[in-house]
Amino acid sequence: MAETSEISEQKAELEKGFDPNTMRKTKPGVKRLALTLSVLFSFLLGFPFLWKSIEIYRAPLPFKDIDSLSERITSNPLQFPCGFQAIFVGFGSKTYEELSRLEYSIFNRMTGLTSKRTQCGSCSSNFSVSVTFDSDSSCTQNGHNPASYHCGEIKNVDFNADDEVVDDELEFVLGRSYSKGKKWYTVIVVNRDKMIKVAIGKYRHAWIVGSVSEEEAALRISEIFTKVFMNGGNEEDVIHGEFMPVGADGKIILSFNLLNADPQDWIYDWDFDRIEETMLSPVLEALGHIANISVESQVLYHTPKSSFSHWDDERGAHIFSVGDLPFFVNSNEWHLDTSVTAGGRSKILHFAVYIPSAKECPLLLQVPDGDISETNGFISPMWGGIIVWSPPNCSRDTESNYQTCRKISSHDLQMIYEVFMGQLRQLFGLTSHNLFIGRSGGAIKLASEKGFTEWELDFLSRQHACSNLHSCSTTLSSLSRLVQSLPRMIIMEEIGKQVEFSLEAAKQAESDASLGIFYSSAGSSRQARSLAEDAFFHPSIMSVSYYSFEHCFAVYSPFFLPVSLHVILAALREWKRYKQEKTKYLTWVTKSNAAAS
Amino acid sequence: MKETLKVHFQFSPMAIRILLLSLCLSNLYASSSAVASSSQTATHTNNWAVLVCTSRFWFNYRHMANTLSLYRTVKRLGIPDERIILMLADDMACNARNKYPAQVFNNENHRLNLYGDNVEVDYRGYEVTVENFLRVLTGRHETAVPRSKRLLSDEGSHILLYMTGHGGEEFLKFQDSEELQSHDLADAVKQMKEKGRFKELLIMVDTCQAATLFSQLHSPGVLAIGSSLKGENSYSHHLDSDVGVSVVDRFTFYTLAFFERLNMYDNASLNSLFSSYNPSLLMSTAYYRTDLFPRRLEQVPVTNFFGSVMETIHTDRPYRARKRKESQDRIRMPLKEAVQDNQQRRLSDPEIEVRRVQAPEDSIGRTWNSLQNKMKIFEYPETFVYYGLVMMLPLLAVSTWLYS
Repeated sequence: MAETSEISEQKAELEKGFDPNTMRKTKPGVKRLALTLSVLFSFLLGFPFLWKSIEIYRAPLPFKDIDSLSERITSNPLQFPCGFQAIFVGFGSKTYEELSRLEYSIFNRMTGLTSKRTQCGSCSSNFSVSVTFDSDSSCTQNGHNPASYHCGEIKNVDFNADDEVVDDELEFVLGRSYSKGKKWYTVIVVNRDKMIKVAIGKYRHAWIVGSVSEEEAALRISEIFTKVFMNGGNEEDVIHGEFMPVGADGKIILSFNLLNADPQDWIYDWDFDRIEETMLSPVLEALGHIANISVESQVLYHTPKSSFSHWDDERGAHIFSVGDLPFFVNSNEWHLDTSVTAGGRSKILHFAVYIPSAKECPLLLQVPDGDISETNGFISPMWGGIIVWSPPNCSRDTESNYQTCRKISSHDLQMIYEVFMGQLRQLFGLTSHNLFIGRSGGAIKLASEKGFTEWELDFLSRQHACSNLHSCSTTLSSLSRLVQSLPRMIIMEEIGKQVEFSLEAAKQAESDASLGIFYSSAGSSRQARSLAEDAFFHPSIMSVSYYSFEHCFAVYSPFFLPVSLHVILAALREWKRYKQEKTKYLTWVTKSNAAAS
Repeated sequence: MKETLKVHFQFSPMAIRILLLSLCLSNLYASSSAVASSSQTATHTNNWAVLVCTSRFWFNYRHMANTLSLYRTVKRLGIPDERIILMLADDMACNARNKYPAQVFNNENHRLNLYGDNVEVDYRGYEVTVENFLRVLTGRHETAVPRSKRLLSDEGSHILLYMTGHGGEEFLKFQDSEELQSHDLADAVKQMKEKGRFKELLIMVDTCQAATLFSQLHSPGVLAIGSSLKGENSYSHHLDSDVGVSVVDRFTFYTLAFFERLNMYDNASLNSLFSSYNPSLLMSTAYYRTDLFPRRLEQVPVTNFFGSVMETIHTDRPYRARKRKESQDRIRMPLKEAVQDNQQRRLSDPEIEVRRVQAPEDSIGRTWNSLQNKMKIFEYPETFVYYGLVMMLPLLAVSTWLYS
């Protein structure tokens, strides 16, 4: 009995100390807390899925490769290896020491001539010179000579013959020896009792015939090597600015126009198909690795020029001067740019034959020194060229008002074509002089039927490969800067592929360049540039069309913000309540424990 | 008869920013100066003009007249049609309210029909949008867009960009529905500079508060002139009572008055153009920004931007290859070799082309095919939905169990 009364006493004591506001006797339940937390947890779990689902697709771009490409291009500009060999015929037998001394002297002279300019795409820092002495009795050749010229072969060539014949024979002889891989530029010196004659062929060789000393020959040889074979035979002041009329997609469209200023006076037509088939096609083929060229032609009527001319009694002709040339093209009446095949980034070069009307016929161009121009034509860089062709007799047929179509004679057409070629070469930055005047003397330059000699094509390939690669690397690096600065921009798979292939082509061009394969290096670099441009100018890159983080937030917040706020608040409230209840219970427990002890 | 049109557009800048956000672009290209310097050396080879009228509706007649007048001027001074991008947001000439159908005048004397022959409008009506405008500037077009609609300028180009319409602080309204912000313009110019799309750029804007549109420009080689300062309006010049609306804005009117006295041989400098604006006649202050422009304005002829003077070089001689007969057979062999060589080289190009085209098609095509195959399992889309509903049942069960 006493025990029970004791217990009830204790209980009463406890009951007395129990405060329902701060204490509780039972453990607080976790059901509500678990429920709200599980909802919150599932929300948090779902968040990465949402994040993933609204993610923007960005094709991975090889930023590192792009950086390394541009670093390579800027730190060491593309240099091609070039091989030069000199073959001395009829100088008697020589020792190896004499031979290597001569090699060394030519090499030194050449570095002296090139050191001024370290142009991109040249071979001024990476060339080799080899000398061979070929005489009847003996042949001195460096043992490690890689040019693989076989002694005695040159003897079959008759240097007395016509230049063209000599050139072809030399090509036949030398072409066999360098059939594969790197091409060698060769100068052949033939010692003979004659006036000195220097000629530069249309392949990759030149020859000096006459009585020359070794020293003089070395001087001439080094000049031909550097000025002609290395730099395309250009005087430095002829080229100003860049003469690279190739579109960003590697295409050129040559648009030939025949402009009849006033069809009331006469209408001329031309047989353009013949020009295209017989004369133009080898040119296009020769330039094939520098650009993808297509040809169009049209005949236009009612195309007066917009500059003035004046009558000159002495010459019996209308004269316009070089100062009028900038205003010659009447852009409002000459609708030259009518090509439908031209893509957005192709380059169109216009070549126009202007036939003046009867009241300004014949029309001649006066050059600043007072003479009449030999070509009657001019160019505008990156635009094209114009030739003024006056009809043979400037009398207008009065008897027939609606005269028949006249044709430009094939002789005149040939002349026009030759001027066109001169203009095309000018647009590419090459001169058409048939003489090369160096410090040590002049040389005849043979012209190629293909419009460009092989050494000129080599020079153009080197130059274009270099500037294509340069443009490719700058385009890619500005693309990478753009892409990295805009984290919310979509990058299509296509852009990634284009960048990848562009880098691949650039790598190919570099390796070809290092091997000295000019043509394929130019081709791959063109590919690289065009792909890089495609990637940079991709229409999906547009600051208005991608959507920013703020936009994304604005779109999704109405869906999730109200619910998520409630969930978070509920969880917080439950947590608070649970903690509160727990402290209540704990105080009760401590109190009851204290009472029990 | 003077009409004063006050135009105020007070949009909350935040709202616009959300739609057209490209702010992040502006801190781009901090390191691009090295690249840009290479294009500085290029010589001036050609001229381009982008002329934009941005406003719709009949009462904005004068904006179309402004643009067409400028179009006539630059054409007269020698920029050919193929180098002019003309954007007109509406066609007033064919508007039903036009008393002179197919004609547009910029003066009440009606002496000059601006909409006569040879007007080549490149972007018309609803094609004139902020997006298209920026595409023209940056050159990012779809492949199908023809050459005539593209700005095909290069690093030797001088570009005149003329814009007229209704504007406000740091924006220009397009089509009464969207805005070109000053930083959008600055970004586009920056990208153009980056890619060598111009040598020098003259931006001429005739709107209210035009000067504010230039505040974000940072690219070198840019010269900007606006009709009014911040807080000022640009006013129309006069009302044509026959047409019923104002036909020209003051700033453009006095610009045209300056050019009427010039022909393409003239050597007037940009400075003389800029000093010809009289604030009391304009009723606003013409503002020009020259700090980005490298040359002195006194030495820059207006024809450098408003006209086109071709750089020409005389062709001194033809390229004459000698005809030969006797040596034909000898060279046949090496020539043939060369031809073969060329053909081989040609072959390698299409290969790369094919590879490049097929690769993206393959991966996309494959995923598309597999997706289609999977879709075939569910014959009807409803089944798919049912599966989804059934999947939700266990979730429901778990939650009710927790509650009970």
